[in-house]
Amino acid sequence: MLREIQEVLRLIMLLGEQKQQHSLKTRRGLLVLLWTETGASVQSLNCTVAAAGRWSTGIKMEALQPVLTDLKESMFPCAWPSPQPDPEELCAFTDLYGSLRLLLSFQKKDERFNSTELCARIEAFLHTFSLANAKINVHLKFKWNQQTFQRDLRVKIKRTVALANQLSRFLDVTCSSQPPECVKKDCWCQGGHPVVGGLLPLSIPPKVMDQGLFGELSIQPVTLLRPCLLQYPNLATQLTHIKVLVFGPSNVPVAGPSTFFQNLPAHLDCQELGLHGLHCSSFKDHVHNSGMVYTVEQEPSKDPEQESSLLPMQQSLRLYLFLQHSDPFNCHLSDLMATEVLIEHYLEDILNNNRQSVTKALQTELKNTLKASNHRKRSQEELRSAADVILSSSISVVSCSSDVDFRTACLNSMKVRDTHELSASLHESLRRVTSWKFTPRDRCYSAQMEEHPESDDATQREI
Amino acid sequence: MMGPCEAELFSEIDKLRAELLNNVEVVPGCQRVEEEITYREILSRIENVILGIVTSLSKDEAPVLALPNRSSWANISFDSAIGLQRNSGSSSTSIRSDSPSSVRKFAQILKIFLVIYKLVQSNSYATKRDIYYNNTQLFGSQQTVDSIVDDVSCMLKAPRRSLHVMATSKGLIAGDLCYLEEDGTRIDCRSGSAVRSTNNPKLTAPAVAVSSNIVGIRNIVSSAKFVMIVEKDATFQRLLDDDFCAKLSPCIIITVLMVRKLWDTLHIPIFALVDADPHGIEIMCIYKYGSVAMSFEAHNLTVPSVMWLGLLPSDLQRLRVPEDALIPLTKRDENKLSSLLTRPYLTSQPDWQKEMELMQQTKIKAEIQSLAAIAPDFLTNIYLPNKLRYGGWI
Repeated sequence: MLREIQEVLRLIMLLGEQKQQHSLKTRRGLLVLLWTETGASVQSLNCTVAAAGRWSTGIKMEALQPVLTDLKESMFPCAWPSPQPDPEELCAFTDLYGSLRLLLSFQKKDERFNSTELCARIEAFLHTFSLANAKINVHLKFKWNQQTFQRDLRVKIKRTVALANQLSRFLDVTCSSQPPECVKKDCWCQGGHPVVGGLLPLSIPPKVMDQGLFGELSIQPVTLLRPCLLQYPNLATQLTHIKVLVFGPSNVPVAGPSTFFQNLPAHLDCQELGLHGLHCSSFKDHVHNSGMVYTVEQEPSKDPEQESSLLPMQQSLRLYLFLQHSDPFNCHLSDLMATEVLIEHYLEDILNNNRQSVTKALQTELKNTLKASNHRKRSQEELRSAADVILSSSISVVSCSSDVDFRTACLNSMKVRDTHELSASLHESLRRVTSWKFTPRDRCYSAQMEEHPESDDATQREI
Repeated sequence: MMGPCEAELFSEIDKLRAELLNNVEVVPGCQRVEEEITYREILSRIENVILGIVTSLSKDEAPVLALPNRSSWANISFDSAIGLQRNSGSSSTSIRSDSPSSVRKFAQILKIFLVIYKLVQSNSYATKRDIYYNNTQLFGSQQTVDSIVDDVSCMLKAPRRSLHVMATSKGLIAGDLCYLEEDGTRIDCRSGSAVRSTNNPKLTAPAVAVSSNIVGIRNIVSSAKFVMIVEKDATFQRLLDDDFCAKLSPCIIITVLMVRKLWDTLHIPIFALVDADPHGIEIMCIYKYGSVAMSFEAHNLTVPSVMWLGLLPSDLQRLRVPEDALIPLTKRDENKLSSLLTRPYLTSQPDWQKEMELMQQTKIKAEIQSLAAIAPDFLTNIYLPNKLRYGGWI
């Protein structure tokens, strides 16, 4: 079923590309309804995918219908015409976004599946889809065995990134991590700042060409480090995870893990990146997260008893990989769909054929991203070693002084009783004020700033 | 008693001295009351800085030090009697403890504060060199220590000598001069109690290494008619080799330091013998008027009565110094010369200005040693005696 949903999304996205909307304020809704039916001897899983709002304006549904029929027959040979969804569900959807632009329903009979696992996979897939299609509000509803799972994916903070070949992507840059307690109000960036990497051409292996894939294929990385700590230039950071998400030319996520990415850490130069090591997370996480996750090996803390506000801030890196394809002989929708299927099917072979260049490109992107982090480490070291001198010199003067008034003023100022306590107190205070130095930046997202008028957070309701 | 030839030799110098004594407010050295800052005041000023740091941290604010800007001409004014001096309310630079680019300097300044605090408290002294070698990793270079000591001196509004930090002396002095050092050692620059210059082990005339503790020098006795500041050690030694001090006796020749002390005590003409190049001229200007960096201590360092004896750019033409002894100005020389010509004190020195403009036109410089191309002993036997006899200074 996930594959079918992916195909439908691909179709919708390819249709949408024909009348591309560049404004972040365009409201688009996508509804994925799933429900089960249990017959006399067989269980069926029904699915309806609907799109409403400012989608592919100018294309008439009547003209599209024959195309959809052909595609259904070719894409879903095992799918049966599905009963229509509950009109009330559709009404609620159209009330939000306006008239339906597309409605596609299909059914799979005798579907043996684990409802909970399927639901999690579909949700994860749609969530990943939403990360690179932030303009689209995705609504998922899954009903089975008198249970209903509902998830509304609306992006709080979006950012447009300009890729090569005049393509744009609308990314979800929201960061939901809570700031530490020592951070003042409105002094925390709630979003991230994507960085676009260079476009890397990919050569298509002969075996794949034989299957019909021609034209120019390329891949372009975009990195997003979260949470954003640009406003705290002195804060030490620690990268904990790297998540790799691959998107096809239609900007639909490429589902499932790939051996290429599983083996990638072994080919990266961790020393050059300033990392101790990278490890692939478990297969189970891949299934649910629709992306490859690497865990960064950490060096043991030099000061295990260090106060929590002085520990390095943990960050995670999201690495988007956008595949692009162009072939002047591919202009029909069905051709485009078939090409996408080919690319996804042979992605492993394509990446292996370009292993060196892809690995090098990823190494470069990671290195650029981690440059700032490594610079922070050096700054921290500079601040730390200087702080030792500043504090020891200051304490020495206080200790050596015979001026009672001066000594008393120093102790009272820090509310301590003796120079020993004064030393500890000054040490902690200096470390805190220097580490948490705040430098406001216009490009950061304070609590009041949002790019889109819709302010609803992602919601999740289980009934 | 001086013979008629000797009297004639010094007649112009004696006239100059009379003129200087008329123009300058004379305070006999023994009666000079210097505004000395007490050691308690120094400690208190340092404690105020530390208290400021503690107070900032108590408010969860990053401590900041305000460092007076010693490199901007905007903070300087010129007084012909004093030289370049720092204006009150001049601009300062903030040295932050929360910026990686400045925190190291912050720490270096604090370290110097601590060193000075302990020196003053214990009434002991250290040279800038000592301070550097005790903390090479923190400071990185001697130049850093030198600069920060001057910064601290300016911040605390106290002369370096009050901070118990001494310069590392490399200066030499010779001639008609006796004095007592702080520890009671009697120094006679005329005779045997001398330190031989390490650059010339065959030194025939004595020269004394100038003590770093100039403040402590007392009981200066001299019948010298003039003091000559010699820019380079090589020239100084040449003069010693040629027995200059005996030929032009009584006089004092000196390479560095103590000039102000000698003027305050003896009030005799001070002549500068520097290379005919922009660098030498700048050295001389610093002696006479001070520098931007040290303007906060102009009262104690500058000697506005310094006269330029040689080597003048016009001397090169007049004496027809051989061309192969002349050197073209570099781009850097030209830039420095242009900068010197914009200095505020030049307007009161039209003769100096004329000489510099001549150098600018001819684009030629020369070292004092170039006179040896005329004759090996030209400097000592012809050039300097004639200059001194006939008032060839400006």
